[in-house]
Amino acid sequence: MSARWRYILGEALVGLRRNLLMTFAVILSVTVSLTLLGASLLLSEQVNLATDDWIDKVEVSIFLCNERSCGVDITPDQREQLLSDLESQPIVEQVFYESQEDAFARFQEMFKDDPDVAGVVEPDSLPASFRVKLVDPNDFDVIAQQFEAYPGVEEVVDQQELLNDLLRFIDVVRRAALIVAAIQLVAAGVLIANTIRVAAFARREQTSIMKLVGASNWYVRLPFLFEGMFAGALGALLAWGLLLASVPRVAENLRDQIQLVPFIGAEEVLAVGPLMLGAGVGIAAIASLIALRRFLDV
Amino acid sequence: MIRLQNVTKTYKRGEEGEVVALDDLTLEVGKGEFVFIVGPSGSGKSTFMKLLTREQLPDSGELWVAGKNLATLRSWKVPMLRREIGYVFQDFKLLPSKTVYENVAFALEVIGKARREIDSRVPEVLELVGLEGKAQAQPHELSGGQQQRVSVARAFVNNPRILLCDEPTGNLDPQTSVGIMKLLDRINRTGATVVMATHDQHIVDSMRRRVVELENGVVVRDQSRGVYGYAG
Repeated sequence: MSARWRYILGEALVGLRRNLLMTFAVILSVTVSLTLLGASLLLSEQVNLATDDWIDKVEVSIFLCNERSCGVDITPDQREQLLSDLESQPIVEQVFYESQEDAFARFQEMFKDDPDVAGVVEPDSLPASFRVKLVDPNDFDVIAQQFEAYPGVEEVVDQQELLNDLLRFIDVVRRAALIVAAIQLVAAGVLIANTIRVAAFARREQTSIMKLVGASNWYVRLPFLFEGMFAGALGALLAWGLLLASVPRVAENLRDQIQLVPFIGAEEVLAVGPLMLGAGVGIAAIASLIALRRFLDV
Repeated sequence: MIRLQNVTKTYKRGEEGEVVALDDLTLEVGKGEFVFIVGPSGSGKSTFMKLLTREQLPDSGELWVAGKNLATLRSWKVPMLRREIGYVFQDFKLLPSKTVYENVAFALEVIGKARREIDSRVPEVLELVGLEGKAQAQPHELSGGQQQRVSVARAFVNNPRILLCDEPTGNLDPQTSVGIMKLLDRINRTGATVVMATHDQHIVDSMRRRVVELENGVVVRDQSRGVYGYAG
Protein backbone atom coordinates (compact mmCIF):
# COMPACT_ATOMS: atom_id res chain seq x y z
CA MET A 1 0.00 0.00 0.00
CA SER A 2 1.38 3.41 -0.90
CA ALA A 3 2.07 6.02 1.77
CA ARG A 4 -0.88 8.03 0.47
CA TRP A 5 -3.45 5.26 1.06
CA ARG A 6 -1.88 4.30 4.36
CA TYR A 7 -2.42 7.86 5.49
CA ILE A 8 -6.02 8.05 4.31
CA LEU A 9 -7.08 4.73 5.84
CA GLY A 10 -5.11 5.37 9.02
CA GLU A 11 -6.83 8.72 9.53
CA ALA A 12 -10.24 7.13 8.94
CA LEU A 13 -9.57 4.54 11.65
CA VAL A 14 -8.27 7.19 14.06
CA GLY A 15 -11.50 9.12 13.56
CA LEU A 16 -13.64 6.07 14.24
CA ARG A 17 -11.70 5.16 17.38
CA ARG A 18 -11.66 8.67 18.73
CA ASN A 19 -15.43 8.80 18.64
CA LEU A 20 -16.27 5.27 19.65
CA LEU A 21 -19.72 5.93 21.12
CA MET A 22 -20.89 7.80 18.04
CA THR A 23 -19.42 5.13 15.77
CA PHE A 24 -21.33 2.52 17.76
CA ALA A 25 -24.59 4.46 17.34
CA VAL A 26 -24.00 4.81 13.60
CA ILE A 27 -23.27 1.13 13.12
CA LEU A 28 -26.30 0.15 15.18
CA SER A 29 -28.69 2.38 13.30
CA VAL A 30 -27.36 1.23 9.94
CA THR A 31 -27.75 -2.35 11.12
CA VAL A 32 -31.38 -1.83 12.15
CA SER A 33 -32.36 -0.07 8.94
CA LEU A 34 -30.61 -2.54 6.66
CA THR A 35 -32.01 -5.54 8.53
CA LEU A 36 -35.46 -4.16 7.80
CA LEU A 37 -34.55 -3.42 4.21
CA GLY A 38 -33.14 -6.93 3.77
CA ALA A 39 -36.19 -8.47 5.41
CA SER A 40 -38.54 -6.65 3.08
CA LEU A 41 -36.49 -7.73 0.06
CA LEU A 42 -36.60 -11.31 1.30
CA LEU A 43 -40.36 -11.09 1.81
CA SER A 44 -40.93 -10.10 -1.79
CA GLU A 45 -38.57 -12.90 -2.77
CA GLN A 46 -40.74 -15.23 -0.71
CA VAL A 47 -43.93 -13.96 -2.32
CA ASN A 48 -42.53 -14.50 -5.80
CA LEU A 49 -41.36 -17.98 -4.93
CA ALA A 50 -44.69 -18.98 -3.41
CA THR A 51 -46.69 -17.43 -6.24
CA ASP A 52 -44.68 -19.15 -8.96
CA ASP A 53 -45.09 -22.45 -7.22
CA TRP A 54 -48.78 -22.02 -6.48
CA ILE A 55 -49.72 -20.78 -9.90
CA ASP A 56 -48.82 -24.25 -11.16
CA LYS A 57 -50.82 -25.97 -8.48
CA VAL A 58 -53.94 -23.89 -8.03
CA GLU A 59 -57.12 -25.60 -8.85
CA VAL A 60 -60.76 -24.85 -8.86
CA SER A 61 -62.69 -27.15 -6.59
CA ILE A 62 -66.25 -28.02 -7.60
CA PHE A 63 -67.84 -29.58 -4.55
CA LEU A 64 -70.59 -32.06 -5.23
CA CYS A 65 -73.81 -32.49 -3.33
CA ASN A 66 -74.33 -35.20 -0.79
CA GLU A 67 -77.04 -35.85 1.77
CA ARG A 68 -75.39 -33.76 4.41
CA SER A 69 -74.81 -30.66 2.34
CA CYS A 70 -77.72 -30.44 -0.10
CA GLY A 71 -80.14 -33.01 1.28
CA VAL A 72 -79.76 -35.27 -1.75
CA ASP A 73 -76.76 -37.01 -3.32
CA ILE A 74 -75.64 -36.04 -6.79
CA THR A 75 -76.81 -38.71 -9.22
CA PRO A 76 -74.25 -40.67 -11.28
CA ASP A 77 -75.83 -39.19 -14.46
CA GLN A 78 -75.45 -35.65 -13.21
CA ARG A 79 -71.84 -36.40 -12.34
CA GLU A 80 -71.07 -37.88 -15.76
CA GLN A 81 -72.68 -34.90 -17.46
CA LEU A 82 -70.66 -32.47 -15.35
CA LEU A 83 -67.42 -34.30 -16.08
CA SER A 84 -67.93 -34.40 -19.82
CA ASP A 85 -68.95 -30.70 -19.92
CA LEU A 86 -65.87 -29.78 -17.94
CA GLU A 87 -63.59 -31.76 -20.21
CA SER A 88 -65.05 -30.14 -23.29
CA GLN A 89 -64.04 -26.66 -22.05
CA PRO A 90 -60.90 -25.39 -23.83
CA ILE A 91 -59.82 -23.39 -20.75
CA VAL A 92 -59.72 -26.55 -18.65
CA GLU A 93 -56.44 -28.36 -18.64
CA GLN A 94 -57.18 -31.32 -16.44
CA VAL A 95 -59.98 -32.68 -14.26
CA PHE A 96 -59.58 -35.08 -11.34
CA TYR A 97 -62.36 -36.70 -9.43
CA GLU A 98 -61.97 -36.89 -5.68
CA SER A 99 -64.49 -39.19 -4.01
CA GLN A 100 -65.63 -38.79 -0.41
CA GLU A 101 -63.30 -41.61 0.58
CA ASP A 102 -60.34 -39.91 -1.20
CA ALA A 103 -61.11 -36.63 0.52
CA PHE A 104 -61.30 -38.36 3.89
CA ALA A 105 -58.00 -40.15 3.30
CA ARG A 106 -56.29 -36.90 2.25
CA PHE A 107 -57.63 -35.10 5.29
CA GLN A 108 -56.40 -37.85 7.61
CA GLU A 109 -52.99 -37.67 5.96
CA MET A 110 -52.85 -33.90 6.26
CA PHE A 111 -53.64 -33.94 10.00
CA LYS A 112 -51.94 -37.16 10.92
CA ASP A 113 -49.91 -35.33 13.57
CA ASP A 114 -53.04 -33.82 15.01
CA PRO A 115 -55.43 -36.64 16.05
CA ASP A 116 -57.85 -34.20 17.68
CA VAL A 117 -58.62 -32.58 14.36
CA ALA A 118 -58.48 -35.80 12.38
CA GLY A 119 -60.87 -37.48 14.81
CA VAL A 120 -63.66 -34.96 14.34
CA VAL A 121 -64.14 -35.79 10.68
CA GLU A 122 -66.13 -38.85 9.72
CA PRO A 123 -65.69 -40.67 6.41
CA ASP A 124 -68.87 -39.14 4.94
CA SER A 125 -68.55 -35.59 6.27
CA LEU A 126 -66.31 -34.32 3.44
CA PRO A 127 -67.89 -33.75 0.04
CA ALA A 128 -66.69 -35.36 -3.14
CA SER A 129 -65.31 -32.89 -5.69
CA PHE A 130 -63.98 -32.32 -9.14
CA ARG A 131 -60.60 -30.65 -8.93
CA VAL A 132 -60.14 -28.64 -12.06
CA LYS A 133 -56.83 -27.34 -13.30
CA LEU A 134 -57.17 -24.34 -15.61
CA VAL A 135 -54.87 -23.36 -18.44
CA ASP A 136 -54.98 -19.84 -17.03
CA PRO A 137 -55.89 -19.68 -13.31
CA ASN A 138 -57.46 -16.25 -13.89
CA ASP A 139 -60.29 -17.82 -15.85
CA PHE A 140 -61.97 -18.88 -12.63
CA ASP A 141 -65.00 -16.65 -13.12
CA VAL A 142 -65.92 -18.37 -16.38
CA ILE A 143 -65.96 -21.76 -14.70
CA ALA A 144 -67.77 -20.52 -11.61
CA GLN A 145 -70.58 -18.84 -13.59
CA GLN A 146 -71.10 -21.81 -15.81
CA PHE A 147 -71.04 -24.60 -13.26
CA GLU A 148 -72.32 -23.05 -10.04
CA ALA A 149 -75.91 -23.59 -11.20
CA TYR A 150 -75.44 -27.17 -12.35
CA PRO A 151 -77.68 -29.66 -10.64
CA GLY A 152 -75.79 -31.59 -7.98
CA VAL A 153 -73.10 -28.88 -7.58
CA GLU A 154 -72.85 -27.44 -4.10
CA GLU A 155 -70.14 -24.82 -4.49
CA VAL A 156 -67.31 -23.72 -6.76
CA VAL A 157 -64.26 -22.55 -4.87
CA ASP A 158 -61.22 -20.77 -6.28
CA GLN A 159 -58.08 -21.71 -4.42
CA GLN A 160 -56.28 -18.78 -5.93
CA GLU A 161 -58.54 -16.51 -3.94
CA LEU A 162 -57.28 -18.11 -0.74
CA LEU A 163 -53.72 -17.61 -1.89
CA ASN A 164 -54.40 -14.02 -2.84
CA ASP A 165 -55.47 -13.19 0.69
CA LEU A 166 -52.23 -14.58 2.02
CA LEU A 167 -50.17 -12.77 -0.59
CA ARG A 168 -51.94 -9.51 0.15
CA PHE A 169 -51.14 -9.90 3.82
CA ILE A 170 -47.47 -10.59 3.13
CA ASP A 171 -47.38 -7.61 0.80
CA VAL A 172 -48.70 -5.30 3.53
CA VAL A 173 -46.02 -6.56 5.92
CA ARG A 174 -43.38 -6.10 3.22
CA ARG A 175 -44.45 -2.53 2.51
CA ALA A 176 -44.50 -1.67 6.19
CA ALA A 177 -40.98 -3.06 6.59
CA LEU A 178 -39.84 -1.08 3.56
CA ILE A 179 -41.29 2.19 4.88
CA VAL A 180 -39.76 1.72 8.33
CA ALA A 181 -36.47 0.76 6.66
CA ALA A 182 -36.53 3.96 4.59
CA ILE A 183 -37.21 6.15 7.64
CA GLN A 184 -34.50 4.37 9.60
CA LEU A 185 -32.10 4.77 6.70
CA VAL A 186 -32.68 8.53 6.63
CA ALA A 187 -32.09 8.64 10.39
CA ALA A 188 -28.90 6.65 9.95
CA GLY A 189 -27.81 9.07 7.23
CA VAL A 190 -28.38 12.09 9.49
CA LEU A 191 -26.45 10.37 12.27
CA ILE A 192 -23.58 9.64 9.91
CA ALA A 193 -23.54 13.23 8.63
CA ASN A 194 -23.39 14.52 12.18
CA THR A 195 -20.61 12.12 13.15
CA ILE A 196 -18.54 13.12 10.17
CA ARG A 197 -19.06 16.78 10.92
CA VAL A 198 -17.86 16.26 14.50
CA ALA A 199 -14.84 14.35 13.21
CA ALA A 200 -14.02 17.09 10.71
CA PHE A 201 -14.36 19.71 13.42
CA ALA A 202 -12.06 17.78 15.76
CA ARG A 203 -9.38 17.78 13.06
CA ARG A 204 -9.99 21.27 11.66
CA GLU A 205 -6.47 22.46 12.46
CA GLN A 206 -4.84 19.59 10.62
CA THR A 207 -7.30 20.06 7.79
CA SER A 208 -6.58 23.77 7.46
CA ILE A 209 -2.83 23.10 7.31
CA MET A 210 -3.39 20.42 4.68
CA LYS A 211 -5.35 22.88 2.58
CA LEU A 212 -2.73 25.59 2.88
CA VAL A 213 0.16 23.33 1.87
CA GLY A 214 -1.84 22.31 -1.19
CA ALA A 215 -3.31 18.90 -0.42
CA SER A 216 -5.94 18.12 -3.04
CA ASN A 217 -9.58 18.36 -2.02
CA TRP A 218 -10.01 14.62 -2.22
CA TYR A 219 -6.97 14.00 -0.12
CA VAL A 220 -8.49 16.16 2.59
CA ARG A 221 -11.90 14.58 2.27
CA LEU A 222 -11.23 10.89 1.74
CA PRO A 223 -10.34 10.02 5.35
CA PHE A 224 -13.68 11.42 6.50
CA LEU A 225 -15.54 9.83 3.64
CA PHE A 226 -13.98 6.45 4.36
CA GLU A 227 -14.77 6.86 8.02
CA GLY A 228 -18.46 7.10 7.17
CA MET A 229 -18.34 4.38 4.53
CA PHE A 230 -16.52 2.02 6.85
CA ALA A 231 -19.20 2.42 9.53
CA GLY A 232 -21.90 1.95 6.88
CA ALA A 233 -20.27 -1.22 5.58
CA LEU A 234 -19.89 -2.62 9.08
CA GLY A 235 -23.57 -1.97 9.80
CA ALA A 236 -24.55 -3.65 6.54
CA LEU A 237 -22.44 -6.71 7.29
CA LEU A 238 -23.96 -6.98 10.76
CA ALA A 239 -27.46 -6.76 9.31
CA TRP A 240 -26.56 -9.41 6.75
CA GLY A 241 -25.23 -11.65 9.50
CA LEU A 242 -28.43 -11.18 11.50
CA LEU A 243 -30.59 -12.19 8.55
CA LEU A 244 -28.33 -15.14 7.73
CA ALA A 245 -28.60 -16.36 11.29
CA SER A 246 -32.36 -15.94 11.60
CA VAL A 247 -34.14 -16.23 8.25
CA PRO A 248 -33.15 -19.82 7.30
CA ARG A 249 -34.13 -20.95 10.80
CA VAL A 250 -37.54 -19.26 10.63
CA ALA A 251 -38.08 -20.66 7.14
CA GLU A 252 -37.16 -24.13 8.38
CA ASN A 253 -39.78 -23.86 11.12
CA LEU A 254 -42.45 -22.72 8.69
CA ARG A 255 -41.50 -25.42 6.23
CA ASP A 256 -42.24 -28.02 8.91
CA GLN A 257 -45.65 -26.54 9.53
CA ILE A 258 -46.77 -25.56 6.05
CA GLN A 259 -45.83 -28.09 3.43
CA LEU A 260 -47.85 -26.54 0.65
CA VAL A 261 -45.56 -23.59 -0.03
CA PRO A 262 -41.83 -23.50 -0.78
CA PHE A 263 -39.79 -21.21 1.48
CA ILE A 264 -36.66 -19.18 0.87
CA GLY A 265 -33.41 -20.28 2.50
CA ALA A 266 -29.82 -19.19 3.09
CA GLU A 267 -29.24 -18.88 -0.63
CA GLU A 268 -31.71 -16.02 -1.00
CA VAL A 269 -30.30 -14.29 2.08
CA LEU A 270 -26.80 -14.51 0.60
CA ALA A 271 -28.12 -13.02 -2.62
CA VAL A 272 -29.51 -9.84 -0.99
CA GLY A 273 -26.16 -9.22 0.77
CA PRO A 274 -24.47 -7.20 -1.97
CA LEU A 275 -27.54 -5.01 -2.25
CA MET A 276 -27.58 -4.33 1.48
CA LEU A 277 -23.85 -3.62 1.46
CA GLY A 278 -24.34 -1.23 -1.45
CA ALA A 279 -27.18 0.55 0.32
CA GLY A 280 -25.20 0.87 3.57
CA VAL A 281 -22.03 2.16 1.95
CA GLY A 282 -23.98 4.34 -0.48
CA ILE A 283 -26.05 6.06 2.20
CA ALA A 284 -22.92 6.59 4.31
CA ALA A 285 -21.02 8.07 1.37
CA ILE A 286 -23.82 10.46 0.44
CA ALA A 287 -24.34 11.54 4.05
CA SER A 288 -20.60 12.09 4.55
CA LEU A 289 -20.25 14.08 1.35
CA ILE A 290 -23.16 16.32 2.29
CA ALA A 291 -21.64 16.84 5.73
CA LEU A 292 -18.25 17.70 4.22
CA ARG A 293 -19.46 19.90 1.41
CA ARG A 294 -19.68 23.08 3.40
CA PHE A 295 -17.12 22.28 6.05
CA LEU A 296 -14.20 21.59 3.76
CA ASP A 297 -14.65 24.15 1.03
CA VAL A 298 -11.42 25.61 -0.32
CA MET B 1 5.23 36.84 -9.46
CA ILE B 2 2.33 38.67 -7.80
CA ARG B 3 0.23 41.28 -9.56
CA LEU B 4 -2.91 43.04 -8.31
CA GLN B 5 -4.78 45.31 -10.70
CA ASN B 6 -7.53 47.53 -9.24
CA VAL B 7 -8.46 44.91 -6.68
CA THR B 8 -11.40 45.69 -4.40
CA LYS B 9 -12.64 43.52 -1.58
CA THR B 10 -15.51 44.39 0.76
CA TYR B 11 -17.05 42.50 3.65
CA LYS B 12 -20.67 42.60 4.69
CA ARG B 13 -21.11 43.61 8.30
CA GLY B 14 -24.57 43.11 9.74
CA GLU B 15 -27.52 44.91 8.18
CA GLU B 16 -26.55 46.81 5.06
CA GLY B 17 -23.17 47.65 6.58
CA GLU B 18 -20.15 47.20 4.35
CA VAL B 19 -16.48 47.41 5.17
CA VAL B 20 -14.02 48.10 2.39
CA ALA B 21 -10.92 46.00 3.14
CA LEU B 22 -9.05 46.65 -0.10
CA ASP B 23 -9.95 49.66 -2.22
CA ASP B 24 -8.91 49.60 -5.88
CA LEU B 25 -5.48 48.24 -4.97
CA THR B 26 -2.80 47.95 -7.64
CA LEU B 27 0.51 46.38 -6.72
CA GLU B 28 3.20 44.29 -8.31
CA VAL B 29 5.82 42.11 -6.63
CA GLY B 30 8.57 40.73 -8.84
CA LYS B 31 10.30 37.39 -8.76
CA GLY B 32 12.80 37.09 -5.90
CA GLU B 33 11.70 40.29 -4.19
CA PHE B 34 11.43 40.72 -0.41
CA VAL B 35 8.47 42.92 0.54
CA PHE B 36 7.16 44.09 3.90
CA ILE B 37 3.46 44.87 4.09
CA VAL B 38 2.91 47.28 6.96
CA GLY B 39 -0.02 49.26 8.27
CA PRO B 40 -2.30 49.49 11.29
CA SER B 41 -4.81 46.78 12.19
CA GLY B 42 -7.70 46.83 9.77
CA SER B 43 -5.63 48.37 6.99
CA GLY B 44 -6.16 45.34 4.76
CA LYS B 45 -2.98 43.30 5.37
CA SER B 46 -4.82 40.11 6.32
CA THR B 47 -7.23 40.40 3.41
CA PHE B 48 -4.27 40.91 1.09
CA MET B 49 -2.66 37.67 2.31
CA LYS B 50 -5.93 35.73 2.09
CA LEU B 51 -6.44 36.81 -1.50
CA LEU B 52 -2.98 35.59 -2.47
CA THR B 53 -3.71 32.04 -1.25
CA ARG B 54 -7.17 32.12 -2.79
CA GLU B 55 -8.84 31.68 0.60
CA GLN B 56 -10.96 34.57 -0.59
CA LEU B 57 -11.84 36.03 -3.95
CA PRO B 58 -11.74 39.75 -4.80
CA ASP B 59 -15.01 41.49 -5.66
CA SER B 60 -13.42 43.09 -8.68
CA GLY B 61 -10.04 43.61 -10.28
CA GLU B 62 -7.39 41.27 -11.57
CA LEU B 63 -5.18 39.11 -9.41
CA TRP B 64 -2.26 37.04 -10.70
CA VAL B 65 -0.12 34.80 -8.49
CA ALA B 66 2.63 32.49 -9.77
CA GLY B 67 1.33 32.89 -13.31
CA LYS B 68 -2.26 32.00 -12.41
CA ASN B 69 -5.29 34.26 -12.73
CA LEU B 70 -7.01 33.66 -9.40
CA ALA B 71 -10.33 35.10 -10.53
CA THR B 72 -10.78 32.33 -13.07
CA LEU B 73 -8.87 29.57 -11.27
CA ARG B 74 -11.08 26.50 -10.86
CA SER B 75 -11.43 25.44 -7.26
CA TRP B 76 -9.95 21.99 -7.92
CA LYS B 77 -6.80 23.73 -9.17
CA VAL B 78 -6.39 25.78 -5.99
CA PRO B 79 -4.20 23.06 -4.36
CA MET B 80 -1.76 23.43 -7.28
CA LEU B 81 -1.53 27.18 -6.60
CA ARG B 82 -0.87 26.55 -2.92
CA ARG B 83 1.96 24.16 -3.68
CA GLU B 84 3.77 27.18 -5.13
CA ILE B 85 3.22 29.16 -1.92
CA GLY B 86 4.70 28.53 1.51
CA TYR B 87 2.79 30.02 4.42
CA VAL B 88 4.19 30.99 7.84
CA PHE B 89 1.73 31.88 10.61
CA GLN B 90 2.13 34.11 13.62
CA ASP B 91 1.07 31.23 15.90
CA PHE B 92 3.16 28.55 14.08
CA LYS B 93 0.21 26.12 13.68
CA LEU B 94 2.23 22.99 14.29
CA LEU B 95 0.44 19.70 14.91
CA PRO B 96 1.05 19.00 18.60
CA SER B 97 0.89 15.21 18.32
CA LYS B 98 3.58 15.01 15.65
CA THR B 99 7.35 15.36 16.00
CA VAL B 100 9.29 18.14 14.30
CA TYR B 101 10.25 15.75 11.52
CA GLU B 102 6.66 14.56 11.06
CA ASN B 103 5.32 18.10 11.02
CA VAL B 104 7.63 19.04 8.16
CA ALA B 105 7.16 15.71 6.35
CA PHE B 106 3.37 16.15 6.63
CA ALA B 107 3.44 18.97 4.07
CA LEU B 108 5.02 16.61 1.54
CA GLU B 109 2.98 13.54 2.46
CA VAL B 110 -0.36 15.22 1.89
CA ILE B 111 0.59 16.32 -1.60
CA GLY B 112 1.50 12.75 -2.45
CA LYS B 113 5.32 12.89 -2.51
CA ALA B 114 7.18 9.58 -2.43
CA ARG B 115 8.66 8.40 0.86
CA ARG B 116 12.16 8.43 -0.63
CA GLU B 117 11.87 12.06 -1.63
CA ILE B 118 10.44 13.02 1.76
CA ASP B 119 13.26 11.26 3.62
CA SER B 120 15.91 13.12 1.67
CA ARG B 121 14.25 16.54 1.61
CA VAL B 122 13.13 16.90 5.26
CA PRO B 123 16.60 16.56 6.89
CA GLU B 124 17.90 19.01 4.28
CA VAL B 125 15.39 21.70 5.18
CA LEU B 126 15.73 21.04 8.93
CA GLU B 127 19.43 21.73 8.53
CA LEU B 128 18.65 24.93 6.62
CA VAL B 129 16.57 26.24 9.55
CA GLY B 130 19.13 25.01 12.09
CA LEU B 131 17.07 22.29 13.73
CA GLU B 132 18.93 19.21 12.55
CA GLY B 133 19.29 18.00 16.15
CA LYS B 134 15.61 18.44 17.01
CA ALA B 135 13.98 16.18 14.45
CA GLN B 136 12.45 13.83 17.00
CA ALA B 137 11.35 16.55 19.47
CA GLN B 138 7.68 17.37 20.06
CA PRO B 139 6.62 20.99 19.37
CA HIS B 140 5.88 21.64 23.06
CA GLU B 141 9.49 20.83 23.93
CA LEU B 142 10.71 23.69 21.74
CA SER B 143 11.04 27.44 22.35
CA GLY B 144 8.84 29.83 20.38
CA GLY B 145 11.68 30.68 18.04
CA GLN B 146 12.40 27.02 17.38
CA GLN B 147 8.73 26.34 16.73
CA GLN B 148 8.67 29.16 14.21
CA ARG B 149 11.71 27.63 12.51
CA VAL B 150 9.79 24.36 12.18
CA SER B 151 6.91 26.33 10.69
CA VAL B 152 9.28 27.97 8.19
CA ALA B 153 10.77 24.57 7.37
CA ARG B 154 7.29 23.20 6.69
CA ALA B 155 6.47 26.19 4.46
CA PHE B 156 9.69 25.88 2.50
CA VAL B 157 10.14 22.10 2.29
CA ASN B 158 8.29 21.94 -1.02
CA ASN B 159 10.53 24.62 -2.57
CA PRO B 160 7.71 27.10 -3.15
CA ARG B 161 8.25 30.10 -5.40
CA ILE B 162 6.56 32.40 -2.91
CA LEU B 163 6.82 32.55 0.87
CA LEU B 164 3.98 34.39 2.63
CA CYS B 165 4.65 35.29 6.26
CA ASP B 166 1.82 36.64 8.41
CA GLU B 167 3.41 38.40 11.41
CA PRO B 168 6.02 35.65 11.78
CA THR B 169 7.77 37.48 14.61
CA GLY B 170 4.59 38.61 16.35
CA ASN B 171 4.93 36.07 19.16
CA LEU B 172 8.71 36.22 19.50
CA ASP B 173 11.17 38.35 21.49
CA PRO B 174 13.38 40.77 19.49
CA GLN B 175 16.51 38.61 19.58
CA THR B 176 14.69 35.49 18.40
CA SER B 177 12.99 37.58 15.74
CA VAL B 178 16.35 38.56 14.29
CA GLY B 179 17.19 34.87 13.92
CA ILE B 180 13.94 34.21 12.06
CA MET B 181 14.57 37.21 9.77
CA LYS B 182 18.05 35.93 8.94
CA LEU B 183 16.42 32.64 8.00
CA LEU B 184 13.81 34.33 5.79
CA ASP B 185 16.58 36.38 4.19
CA ARG B 186 18.52 33.19 3.41
CA ILE B 187 15.43 31.65 1.84
CA ASN B 188 14.89 34.84 -0.19
CA ARG B 189 18.44 34.54 -1.51
CA THR B 190 17.64 31.08 -2.92
CA GLY B 191 15.30 32.90 -5.32
CA ALA B 192 11.99 32.69 -3.45
CA THR B 193 9.76 35.74 -3.36
CA VAL B 194 9.02 36.70 0.26
CA VAL B 195 5.99 38.76 1.30
CA MET B 196 5.80 39.52 5.00
CA ALA B 197 2.99 41.29 6.80
CA THR B 198 4.30 42.79 10.02
CA HIS B 199 3.99 45.31 12.84
CA ASP B 200 7.61 44.90 13.85
CA GLN B 201 9.26 48.31 13.41
CA HIS B 202 12.79 47.19 14.40
CA ILE B 203 12.75 44.34 11.92
CA VAL B 204 11.57 46.51 9.03
CA ASP B 205 14.03 49.30 9.84
CA SER B 206 17.00 46.98 10.12
CA MET B 207 16.32 44.93 6.98
CA ARG B 208 16.01 47.91 4.60
CA ARG B 209 13.84 46.12 2.03
CA ARG B 210 10.87 47.24 -0.02
CA VAL B 211 8.03 48.47 2.22
CA VAL B 212 4.39 48.73 1.14
CA GLU B 213 2.21 50.58 3.62
CA LEU B 214 -1.53 50.04 3.56
CA GLU B 215 -4.13 52.24 5.14
CA ASN B 216 -7.88 51.76 4.78
CA GLY B 217 -7.28 49.37 1.93
CA VAL B 218 -5.11 51.60 -0.24
CA VAL B 219 -1.35 51.81 -0.72
CA VAL B 220 -0.19 55.02 0.97
CA ARG B 221 3.52 54.31 0.55
CA ASP B 222 5.66 52.01 -1.59
CA GLN B 223 9.39 52.41 -0.96
CA SER B 224 12.32 50.30 -1.96
CA ARG B 225 14.83 50.00 0.90
CA GLY B 226 12.19 51.56 3.13
CA VAL B 227 11.60 51.90 6.84
CA TYR B 228 8.55 51.15 9.01
CA GLY B 229 7.30 54.74 9.31
CA TYR B 230 8.28 58.28 8.51
CA ALA B 231 8.97 59.08 12.11
CA GLY B 232 12.76 59.42 12.55
